[in-house]
Amino acid sequence: MFEIRVHGLGGQGAVTLCTWIAQAGYAVDSHVQAFPFFGAERRGAPVKAFVRVDEQPIDLRSQVYRPDLLVVMSPDLTGLALQEGITPEGRLLVNCGGELAARFAERFSRDIHYIDGTGIALELGLEFDGMPMVNLPLFGAVVAQADVATLEAVLEIVDEVAGRRGNREAYEKAVQAGWDGVEVARAPAEPSAKPAASETDYDLSRTGVTPIEP
Amino acid sequence: MKLLETGNHLIALAANVAGVEVVPAYPITPQTQIIEMVADLIARGDMDAEYIPVESEHSACAALVSASLTGARAFSATSAHGLAYMHEMLHYSAGIRVPVVMANVNRALGPGWNIWCDHQDSISQRDTGWLQVYVASHQEAVDTVIQAYRITEDHSVLLPLMLNLDAFVLSHTYMDADMPSREEVSKYLPPYRPLWKLDPKKPVTHGSVVYPVDFSETRESMQIGQDNARRVAARAAEEFREMFGRWHGAMVDGYLLDDAEFLIVAMGSLAAESRVAVDALRSEGKAAGLLRVRFFRPFPIDELRELCAGRQGLMVIDRDFSYGMEGALFTEVKGALYGYADPPAANLIVGIGGRDVTYELIADHAKRAMAGELAEVTWGDSHVTRAHEITREVLREFEDLMD
Repeated sequence: MFEIRVHGLGGQGAVTLCTWIAQAGYAVDSHVQAFPFFGAERRGAPVKAFVRVDEQPIDLRSQVYRPDLLVVMSPDLTGLALQEGITPEGRLLVNCGGELAARFAERFSRDIHYIDGTGIALELGLEFDGMPMVNLPLFGAVVAQADVATLEAVLEIVDEVAGRRGNREAYEKAVQAGWDGVEVARAPAEPSAKPAASETDYDLSRTGVTPIEP
Repeated sequence: MKLLETGNHLIALAANVAGVEVVPAYPITPQTQIIEMVADLIARGDMDAEYIPVESEHSACAALVSASLTGARAFSATSAHGLAYMHEMLHYSAGIRVPVVMANVNRALGPGWNIWCDHQDSISQRDTGWLQVYVASHQEAVDTVIQAYRITEDHSVLLPLMLNLDAFVLSHTYMDADMPSREEVSKYLPPYRPLWKLDPKKPVTHGSVVYPVDFSETRESMQIGQDNARRVAARAAEEFREMFGRWHGAMVDGYLLDDAEFLIVAMGSLAAESRVAVDALRSEGKAAGLLRVRFFRPFPIDELRELCAGRQGLMVIDRDFSYGMEGALFTEVKGALYGYADPPAANLIVGIGGRDVTYELIADHAKRAMAGELAEVTWGDSHVTRAHEITREVLREFEDLMD
């Protein structure tokens, strides 16, 4: 079984991205499962969504706590995403540029796979309601990294969506750029001391889930 | 045809291939996708049915009853407060013996307001006379809609059936499933043949006053219908397997039961997660098995007596609670076993109001139960502190904080 968890902000298309990933896995005859955590649906609020792909029918119904691939659509959420868990050998894919990825690699002492999905979307003029459609390049990137489907399957799904919106060429380019464009910022050989919290960290206390102590 | 869809949409598509003719409905999260899809299918001309938008769930159930009494195959869907609002009409529909099917997307009852999954809504309707099934997968949801009419419309049953599926975990999650065609289903499920129907040309009064001299018989006949449903449901599942090659159990479903020394008993999607817990326990050399209660009404009394006898212990998982007592499934299981089988039994209360339940949590509690260390009733994922107690002292501390 291959498990994926996506962290994004409301409006970035994290839920749609997970549905597409499942469709791609389904297109190559795998059993799939895709679902978000349903909370208040607000623009800009942190969103989590999950995908499972397996050759066997899937019995798990719980959320994904130890993903094989952890996807971060907004780099502010990287600390939070890691805190919520990943398998020891799991891969972290962040939507960001090389400079930020190198800083993350140092701070979190791990390899950071990254792609500038925002840059790709903006360059191709792909915006939806004023927000760059980062889920298109990330769709290509995630499926390539997860190796759960073929590029043909991905393009077919995107063509269908693009056909409804009449922007097929740009959609395909975005997905292809994502498929080809993932790079890696390597963790430093000497792990740094425990990283200090930075202002870019998501403030966990705002999630309001801290148990009340007696 | 293979499909990748949400549980809700699959239910709507299954109602279509099952030849549903009337759908009275009122929206409520997390059920709304079902009736939206039905409305969409009808609007596109892909479903030959009458859609009746009504002003409340009470009216939805009233229209469901009326439609069925005219001889039509009727279907509806609801959740939580919608189901609670139907309560009177649930008794009515069972009492007047209409073979309708309704999907209930299991959701917590407020306050505090909560749209997520637990079984409190349907468990609270236990004694209305409805048959109740709890499904564990998308495929089972599809197949159970189709089987349901075979069961309800059997002239030895004629009771309504509530198909329960877990909010979000099944209702809004995309999974792959096989959807048989209308033609394939029609070979399994013939058109509804009512024993009688309301007809303006032959006016009759039905469901009016019944004096004490006759009333007990109307009620005992409901129980006879429930008892008959055991045999009819088993046959419906068996013939479904012959025709479509899929099996989800009849009254119960089991996993690694044969050599199991310890059983987890569960309903709905927690039973699917429990299969993974059983695998985890087996990998640690613990002989665990899963007994999934598929039908909660009629309750699988004989199956439980047979399958629980000789085991070293049980852990019954409830996603509901009967306040002042214990989890409802726990009570029912013990009631069925009384005088027949006597394994030590513990009750795990988890997943209330959509709290996520992992197989690890289930397996950990099962291990404690096997070691005899699990309390008779354990709220497995709740962390009540003194601050949750409503006492004058705590309220005063709260007021001080506000000042």
